[in-house]
Amino acid sequence: MKISLNTLKYYVDINVSVKELCDRMTLAGFEIESIEQEGENIKNVVAARIVKITPHEDSDHLQVCQMDVGKDELVQIVTGAQNISEGDLVPAALDDSYLPNGMHIVAGKLRGVPSNGMLCSGGELGLTENDYKGAEVNGILILHEDNCPTGTDMREVLGLDDYIIDFKITANRPDCNCFIGVAKEISVVLGTELRIPKPNFKTTDEKIGNYIDVEVKNYDLCPRYIGRVVRNLRIKPSPDWMQKSIIASGMRPINNIVDITNFVMLETGQPMHAFNYDDLEGKKIIVRNAKEGESITTLDGNEYKLNPDMLVIADGEKPSCLAGIMGGKESEIEDDTKNLFLESAKFKRDNIRHTGRALGIRTEASGRYEKGIDIINVEYAMNRALELIDTLDAGDIVDGVIDRNEGLPTDRVLNVKTDDILALLGVQIPEKEIVSILNKLQLKTTVNDGMLTVNVPSIRDDVEGRADLAEEVMRIYGYDHIVSTPMRGDVVRGTLLPERIKTNKIKKLLCGLGAYEIATYSFISSNALDTLNLAEDDERRNAIKLLNPLGDEYSVLRTQLTTNMLSVLATNINRKVLSGRFFEISKRFIPKSLPLTEQPDELPTMSIGIYGDDEDFFTLKGIIEELMSLMGAHTQYERSTEPYLHPGRQALVKANNIPACVFGEVHPSVAENYGIEQRVYVAEIKLDVLLGINKRKTVFKPLPKFPAVERDFAFLCDKDISVGTLEQAITKGAGRLLEKIKLFDIYEGSQIPEGKKSVAFSVFLRSADATLSDEQIENATNNIIDKLEKVGAELRK
Amino acid sequence: MKEQLEAIKQTAFEAVKNAVSEKEIEDLRVKYLGKKGELTALLKQMGGLSPEERPKMGQLVNEAKSNVENLISKKAEELKKKATELKLKAETIDITMPAKEQKIGKLHPLNTVLDDMIDIFQSMGFDVLDGPEVETDHYNFECLNVPADHPARDMQDTFYLGENLLLRTQTSAAQIRTMETRKPPIRVICPGRVFRADEVDATHSPVFHQIEGLVVDKGITMCDLKGVLEQFAHEIYGKDTNVKFRPSFFPFTEPSVEVDVTCSECGGKGCRVCKGSGWIEILGAGMVHPNVLRSCGIDPDVYSGFAFGIGLDRLTTTRYKISDIRLLFENDKRFLDQF
Repeated sequence: MKISLNTLKYYVDINVSVKELCDRMTLAGFEIESIEQEGENIKNVVAARIVKITPHEDSDHLQVCQMDVGKDELVQIVTGAQNISEGDLVPAALDDSYLPNGMHIVAGKLRGVPSNGMLCSGGELGLTENDYKGAEVNGILILHEDNCPTGTDMREVLGLDDYIIDFKITANRPDCNCFIGVAKEISVVLGTELRIPKPNFKTTDEKIGNYIDVEVKNYDLCPRYIGRVVRNLRIKPSPDWMQKSIIASGMRPINNIVDITNFVMLETGQPMHAFNYDDLEGKKIIVRNAKEGESITTLDGNEYKLNPDMLVIADGEKPSCLAGIMGGKESEIEDDTKNLFLESAKFKRDNIRHTGRALGIRTEASGRYEKGIDIINVEYAMNRALELIDTLDAGDIVDGVIDRNEGLPTDRVLNVKTDDILALLGVQIPEKEIVSILNKLQLKTTVNDGMLTVNVPSIRDDVEGRADLAEEVMRIYGYDHIVSTPMRGDVVRGTLLPERIKTNKIKKLLCGLGAYEIATYSFISSNALDTLNLAEDDERRNAIKLLNPLGDEYSVLRTQLTTNMLSVLATNINRKVLSGRFFEISKRFIPKSLPLTEQPDELPTMSIGIYGDDEDFFTLKGIIEELMSLMGAHTQYERSTEPYLHPGRQALVKANNIPACVFGEVHPSVAENYGIEQRVYVAEIKLDVLLGINKRKTVFKPLPKFPAVERDFAFLCDKDISVGTLEQAITKGAGRLLEKIKLFDIYEGSQIPEGKKSVAFSVFLRSADATLSDEQIENATNNIIDKLEKVGAELRK
Repeated sequence: MKEQLEAIKQTAFEAVKNAVSEKEIEDLRVKYLGKKGELTALLKQMGGLSPEERPKMGQLVNEAKSNVENLISKKAEELKKKATELKLKAETIDITMPAKEQKIGKLHPLNTVLDDMIDIFQSMGFDVLDGPEVETDHYNFECLNVPADHPARDMQDTFYLGENLLLRTQTSAAQIRTMETRKPPIRVICPGRVFRADEVDATHSPVFHQIEGLVVDKGITMCDLKGVLEQFAHEIYGKDTNVKFRPSFFPFTEPSVEVDVTCSECGGKGCRVCKGSGWIEILGAGMVHPNVLRSCGIDPDVYSGFAFGIGLDRLTTTRYKISDIRLLFENDKRFLDQF
């Protein structure tokens, strides 16, 4: 809420600097969004008197002026203007001055004659005829102040001494969305006098009943409606002070009647609406729901189709105003409007919000209704508006008021123990002080034997109980009285969830393996799944859609992490980062059904992405193996058929027989979808599976006491027999003596028959109990050869 | 024979003295002390001496042997040392040459900061919990004292997923789940991801992170809240950091506060970072609203508590002076490597 300081001073004494006012209001719960000083972009421009004018020797139109700028010596300024005479008082921008248009004036020479500034026109000071009489004449602004000493800052001359302060009003204090609301708080904070206008006006002898009838059909949506009639309007501009207040608060002056309704809204927080009485059919106001098919053209010229959820103010025939939001074009107040029907009403806030949202309109009025207005204040605002109409001689007020409501609330009474308030705050505030603060805040309070009785007026419906009272007392008493107390009770170190502990270990491992953790959004574009070439019926396509996404780019919750990983790889490749290892741990969202009716499964998931000269399928496999080993998983590797991976270079990893990971080289056509032209490798890991594994406790194995024996074997077998199959055969053959198998060569080509390959292993045998005998070694070797033959591999001799 | 011994000794001494390599010394050792060495040979000749002379001569030869031996050892050691020195000197490298790159990854800066925070709160006795990111209207709003037509809903533009289902706008939802499942005393933090329909720019992201803290027990006051936050601020920003409470409004706390700390950039003198105020706003907090306690089955007449919500992303960007929040989600390796 933007309010000018001069406006506030009308309602409350402000005896401190603007800065102090703002600081103290901040500490009382009203943050200051901005402070704007009027004329703050006019610098070093002063009122100066022309002492002498001489023609410029070298120019027909330039004149050289000797200026009295309030200093001992005269200042010479050259000007091109012709409307000046000796003795005139004019604005002079001195050396190193600034004008509102951003112009920086410095001393210089004009056609060889030194000029130490510039004489200014009204336009150059950003003034219009409204601001200063004569501001728009062609030439230099001639000031008509009589007793203005030379050298006076022009801001002072023009009365630009005001500040516009933007108060941030929290959602619980809609009553402060107005001058009076803020002024009340200031008076409590500064302890100064508050002056709330007490409306007073005269009326004619005519009776309102002869002019209008008001019927409220829906009291639920319109709990109170007050109407008055004003005749013989005298439409003209509103006075300066009112225009200034309105402009400072961000609205536009139009004419006295419209300005009065806007001013009263800004002053009291109560929106008002002015109808052209003569345009109301049947001399009737009906507050009702719109009928199916009805429409209205509003003040902004737009036509809106209405539905029965929307509340309208209708005349005898048609909607004349969108209740609480915007008036109709037809009953607009214009320069020749003769008679006025004036409305002050309360409308239900969520109805205003729904209608405003549905039609896409938000106005100063609807904003206030949405935040909530006070039903009692409806009447005060009406009276204040009439007072202004009367004092500004804008029309003749018809006697009588129409006030439709189904009963008005009385103050609520809260009974709260002072001790209960203090117990929440932990601060000892004297009881007298508590009572005094609450009373200053217009919460009438008495105390009896430690029990407070607080009368809460309807305008403060945010005050519900002891917590609210505690806050009211504390923010005025001062939050700086809250002193910190150390944590009490037994402080034992807090615990982490087992999942977090395991996840932390995984992160440590991945970092150790050179991978950088990334963070990406949880929602992805709706066509991201197409980039993975997923089949139409792939279950990952059952993604939860956001009903109101920021755009298609972020429109569905991800069911996998790979698409974002590919984007990150692409970003890095595009930026010429030569290689990289990345991982992300986040959630995949798997709906139980679609459309969504209950919370989905949020499953911990990890993705890994690597690329670069030293990376290939097997470096990624190495990372996966380390991960599986960390988690204590028994793994099996199988060929998989993910559409987004290279058909011959991908694997499914089962952890303890449960599919837990798919990894491999990204399919070139998928990579292309991301603009990636090189080989990249990704893994998608179901952490929910891995986190569920109970890792066996590590038990120490004694270090070997006896030597190992290494035997090398080279086998010839069909090309499509996998190394895994051969290793399994060796494992079986070597039995308990096997320590490890190391593949050291795979060879195809000359000397090897077509369709065959040569595979060579080193096999390490060892016994924990003794040095192996020749016989043991011989037996194992034969067994290994035997088992390999069974899978179709023949020892090369 | 004596003369012979003396002559051998002299030549041996001379030779050892002049030796310049370890190899030469080894050869001399063999020449004089080996099985077929000259001094050894001399001992063998002693058979021709009289029994009286034999021990004397034996002693002399042995003495000579031992002298030569000592000399050779000493010289050998000396030469070895010299050789090593020469070798090491020759091996001198340019230590300013680039290191061989070690591949170590880093945690994302958000998580580096989060881990620090978790550590601080764990040490203050807070358990660390989780909550779902897809929440119901009930947990995200209703239980937090934000009924359907409440203006506070305007404060948070919510992503909806279905009737009553949404992406949580605050980790406070986890507060409720905690209070439903745990009984006081409660002391927990719930870090997590939250979502708001903010267009992406340098300071806004539709996805961001919070750490929700909650303490519920008998006799908890605003002073306790300040105590915890002050300790937290001291750990994060240093011992000289002051904490200031400003009244504010959140539907789920009452009284509510915005918490400012001394600007770490200027130490409170006022600078560009703190816009001249000397203070930086770091989090919102307050005493848990009685309605919230009640909706979780906790009697507000018996228990009280406080809650606070810390914006992790803001904390991270201010800690590292990251100018644009989008950098956090872009994941350029050269960015990630800096933390």
